[in-house]
Amino acid sequence: MTRETELQHHIQMKVGDVGRYVLLPGDPGRCEKIAAYFDDPKHIIQNREYNTYTGTLLGEKVSVVSTGIGCPSTAIAVEELIAIGADTFIRIGTSGGIQPEIRTGDVAVVNSAIRDEGTTLHYMPIEFPAIADLDVVLAMREGAKKLGIPYHVGPTQSKDSFFGEIEPDRMPVDSRLNQRWKAWTAGGTICSEMEASTIFVLSSIHRKRAGGVMLMASISEKPPETPEEFADFKSRFDISRPIQVAIEGLKTLIQQDIQNC
Amino acid sequence: MVKSHHLAIEPGDIGRFVILPGDPGRCKVIASHFNNPEKVAENREYVTYTGSILNEPVSVSSTGIGNPSAAIAIEELRAVGADTFIRVGTSGGMQPHQIPGDLAIITGSIRDEGISKHYLPIEFPAVANSDVVIALREAAEKLGYNTHLGISHSKDSYFGQMAPERMPVVNFLKERWKAWVQGGAICAEMESAILLTLGAIYRLRVGSITLIAINQDKPELGVSTDTAPVIKTAIEAIKLLIQLDHNNEKERINDKRN
Repeated sequence: MTRETELQHHIQMKVGDVGRYVLLPGDPGRCEKIAAYFDDPKHIIQNREYNTYTGTLLGEKVSVVSTGIGCPSTAIAVEELIAIGADTFIRIGTSGGIQPEIRTGDVAVVNSAIRDEGTTLHYMPIEFPAIADLDVVLAMREGAKKLGIPYHVGPTQSKDSFFGEIEPDRMPVDSRLNQRWKAWTAGGTICSEMEASTIFVLSSIHRKRAGGVMLMASISEKPPETPEEFADFKSRFDISRPIQVAIEGLKTLIQQDIQNC
Repeated sequence: MVKSHHLAIEPGDIGRFVILPGDPGRCKVIASHFNNPEKVAENREYVTYTGSILNEPVSVSSTGIGNPSAAIAIEELRAVGADTFIRVGTSGGMQPHQIPGDLAIITGSIRDEGISKHYLPIEFPAVANSDVVIALREAAEKLGYNTHLGISHSKDSYFGQMAPERMPVVNFLKERWKAWVQGGAICAEMESAILLTLGAIYRLRVGSITLIAINQDKPELGVSTDTAPVIKTAIEAIKLLIQLDHNNEKERINDKRN
């Protein structure tokens, strides 16, 4: 069996099943909704938490593949996607918005990630920065501008423990978690999620391009109470916002790639 | 107002835009690209000149070698009103296709140094400001220089890089160097990590550009000492940033009117 026909162990796909451009949500249940923005989307396969659709944008083959939650499963997805020809990754999903000026529904254009996780240590010493590709960041920023969606550019905290972020006080290492959270905030971190750092570090090693667009729920905004407030929250915390930004940004990248080649 | 402890500067001495060479001896040359440059301070390794570009006050201030003295420089400069910084310096190229004389525009830094941990845990990325990076890239393109964009290895020990064999921790140094090269790091230098980290904490715009003076793994390619291209690129980038700020200000005023 050659590399061309070999199925990758976890994503269960081979060369030709995905485009060079891949959107990476965490949730397999969100892939169909994202694929609806492609032309001619087709479901390719689902295995474990890895669900894949492929279609086209501006005539170029593009895919959406879910990573599952966390850096370990994300590293597997990125490694196997690179092996079958993907070279541009855009993480997409939801996150907590950290800075006080962020409002629920604003979009994070992620330019780098705090490596607050275990996976990337298996690849690179911790001093190495997890950085998004500049052209991907610019394309996403332009996309948000064009659509008039409020956006913030900055680092995300990529962590392993969801509950360590949400309920630090019940963790035995609570004071460490709280102290570090204060440092991330002081450093200007805009959002917190669980996959970006691995996508960025692996992309650096393999010389691929990566970026991310996250929908944010403000951690400092007063939670909704009245039905009107709930309706307002729902209208703003809308996953179609980062999807539209990512699609718009991807189109810019595709156009640039066509011009450059 | 008392002058700052190390740089001996006070509010009004400097512009919001500051060029940061390592070498105090390079400040005068850089200042010669300003209109009406004047030396405003000299103390220890810190030499400061201020002049103007496109009618905006602009300064050049040396950092000395290494992240510790660079931290003091940027702390004292931002305390008296600077908010946009471009480091200009020299470095060693790390990828095989890099030739002495090429330029390296730094998008982020490996924090292989001690001081940035006194500010933020090591997991935090040292990242350059996108607008500064874009301005540097545009400037270098306009001037026609051969340029690489990527991550710098920002270290504390010059000889640990240049002569790892004579260090007791030789294996540690070599293993890590291999990882940095494999990760795509483009140049080794000694100040960017802390400048970028403090940029994040104080919400400053910080970028960094270096001359690739040697290729670390290809000494046969020789040495370049011509820093004119990095200086010209930084000056041109500051012009672009001044124009960007003017345009953003106009847009903001128009938004208010509409």
